[in-house]
Amino acid sequence: MNTVIKVKNLRTFSGNRIVWHAVIVGVVWLLLLLLNNNIDPLYSSYLALVAMYATAMFGMTILVGLSGQVSLGNGALMAVGGYVFALTSMNWQTVPIFGWPWNAVWSMVFAGLGGILIGGVVGGLAARLKGPYLAGLTLGLAVGVPAITNRFPSLLGGENGLMLTVPYPQGGYAAAAAAEATDTIDPTAEPGLDPTAAPGEDQYAELDLSGFDQGIDPNAAPSAEDMLTEGDLLTAEDLTNGNDLTLESTDPAVDPSIEPSIDPSIDEAADPTGITDSFDVGFILERWQASMAIAVACLVAFAAMNLIRGHQGRVWKAVRDDPIAAAVVGISPASSKVSAFVVSSLFAALAGAVFAQILSFVGPGAFGLGLSLSLLVGIVLGGRASLLGAILGALIIVWLPELVDGLAGNRGWPEQITNNAPNLLYGLLVVAVVLAAPGGITGTVRSWVDKSRGKSRSPLS
Amino acid sequence: MTNFIDYLLGGFSSGAVIALMALALVLVWRSTRMVNFAQVGQAMFTTYIALTVLQSTGNWLLALVAAFGAGLVLGVIVFFLVIRPVKNSDTTGAIIATFGVLIALQAAAGMIWGGDPEGFIPPVSNAGLEFAGRIWPVSWYDILVWSVTAVLVVGLTLLFTRTSLGLSMRASAFNPEVARLSGVRVNRMLITGWAIAGATGAVGGVLIAPVSTISPNSFDILLVFAFTAAVIGGLDSLIGAVTFGIGTGLVISLVSGYTDASNAPVVALVLLALNLLLKPDGVFGHHTARSV
Repeated sequence: MNTVIKVKNLRTFSGNRIVWHAVIVGVVWLLLLLLNNNIDPLYSSYLALVAMYATAMFGMTILVGLSGQVSLGNGALMAVGGYVFALTSMNWQTVPIFGWPWNAVWSMVFAGLGGILIGGVVGGLAARLKGPYLAGLTLGLAVGVPAITNRFPSLLGGENGLMLTVPYPQGGYAAAAAAEATDTIDPTAEPGLDPTAAPGEDQYAELDLSGFDQGIDPNAAPSAEDMLTEGDLLTAEDLTNGNDLTLESTDPAVDPSIEPSIDPSIDEAADPTGITDSFDVGFILERWQASMAIAVACLVAFAAMNLIRGHQGRVWKAVRDDPIAAAVVGISPASSKVSAFVVSSLFAALAGAVFAQILSFVGPGAFGLGLSLSLLVGIVLGGRASLLGAILGALIIVWLPELVDGLAGNRGWPEQITNNAPNLLYGLLVVAVVLAAPGGITGTVRSWVDKSRGKSRSPLS
Repeated sequence: MTNFIDYLLGGFSSGAVIALMALALVLVWRSTRMVNFAQVGQAMFTTYIALTVLQSTGNWLLALVAAFGAGLVLGVIVFFLVIRPVKNSDTTGAIIATFGVLIALQAAAGMIWGGDPEGFIPPVSNAGLEFAGRIWPVSWYDILVWSVTAVLVVGLTLLFTRTSLGLSMRASAFNPEVARLSGVRVNRMLITGWAIAGATGAVGGVLIAPVSTISPNSFDILLVFAFTAAVIGGLDSLIGAVTFGIGTGLVISLVSGYTDASNAPVVALVLLALNLLLKPDGVFGHHTARSV
């Protein structure tokens, strides 16, 4: 137990630390954006998922790792963020300024506020509880919140959920993406499109109108529902399938259900040469979703780093390790627990808003108990009390099902085995990690490093 | 009024099953001071075993006995492989480990039996009985459920109050140190507690299977209901688990009847939150001072 506080840490000027954190996060952000723009769009959607899971798991790091409260409710809090995002972005459509989808920004802010509000209420309840009681209450939350959507079918879409139009940038980013795409995308993949056409300015004016008022694609809804109501942990493959559907629905030239909403006169006047089509290939939704998810994950990581390595992080750890000792030195255990809950539900709600944009859909099946459990699994395997552990956990959650799928594809295993193999592995690994290496990957590696340097500390500190 | 009586009568069967699951949670809590979140996973697994036996032999009683036996064995296996090694570690780890067992059991069941919901044929008619000129929401199967539950509860009560094994178990639950000093094999009592809990949950699973269907995830909601009942009952009171298990079943039946079945999880959540706020130690529990 690391009860001796190093005097050096206390004296560090916190301003320096914040600058360092900003530099680290900024470099990682840049590298991720470079990566995102240079990989196949399929991998971009994996990247988006990893960033989304990491965002939610940063909250779990603080709640489970630092504050010591086992919560299964974070999937439900993600649902809050997702639904708030869907409702605000659909009902409050602002005019794009400088081509940026401001309604995405506002809706994200509202999703975060919703998360803080619900997190405060649940955290207030949770601060009175410990251990199994809290886990049980949040388990009820994970099961109960998705069920609430059935109570308001007209507003929340009931069992079928809501399809949403992903707000995306209309100008700079999309134009750049389009210009790049005309160089890199194989024109044979999408027959009938002219890859040499340069993106013009006029098309965006036309898309400003069509992009936001397009209807819900009736053909897309049932298949998205099928894939999401399975109730198991979601795999990236499911999501890329979902994206194919939404790509279709954002393509006014292909989707017949959307065509009538576009004014034909504008269409002809603005687009005499079929330039719109090049925009449709050029703007890659997966890439936008990934860069948006990366942005949120980096901002959340920056906030989490400053919280964890600052005063508040020490307060959370103190209450986790010994609430009575913490109270003796003037820390309120209750408010420390509530603050951990609020921060983690803010992160969860933002992750939920990102998830809604990745799926172009919110529904009770997507935010079920499986999602909450996968967050817990990820954080335990990666390392309960470190942000790096959360990132590793997110990678494991997204990558393991793909690995199993690949292995199974080579060996010809039956679907029944393949579909359940990742979850069986998760369950067994979680038990093994709790028994043999409670610090997860990062905790174990750190304790090896410490051992080689002749130091010793708790794997969870 | 007729509706009210119908809903109330209809709630007793699910209440009985919730009571059995809550009993299982309480038995585990009394022996190792932890909530076994894998309990319904174990019950689901043994119910699938019962289903296999039922499909191959057609004998319901044999299926029930198979589930009972498998529940005992699975309880012991989980205890030895997971709980005993983790017991001295942090409580956070113990809770996470039981969720790990739940995930693994559900995946294993999906691998062996597939993910599609399967029906479980009841041994007697599941149709409402006709009596005094109308059809009541009570079937022969409901009566069977009540009887099996009653037999099990009476059996457990006799075990705990009339046998030396029960006395030893109560002693090790009450104070493990003193029990050990008086010659009670405390570890053996813990194993017995987990085994009996596993068997109790297994019987509950077989009883609920014909009413719902069975799939790897179909008992998740039962875990929430059972946890609610066990916590309201005080988490270490057997009589509390039974009382509030049946009570939870009745409340859920009334709410589902008057409004909509999809409200049931929300109701459980509200009940749980209210109880934890107003009476965190449960109605039948006794307050324990916090140790420093």
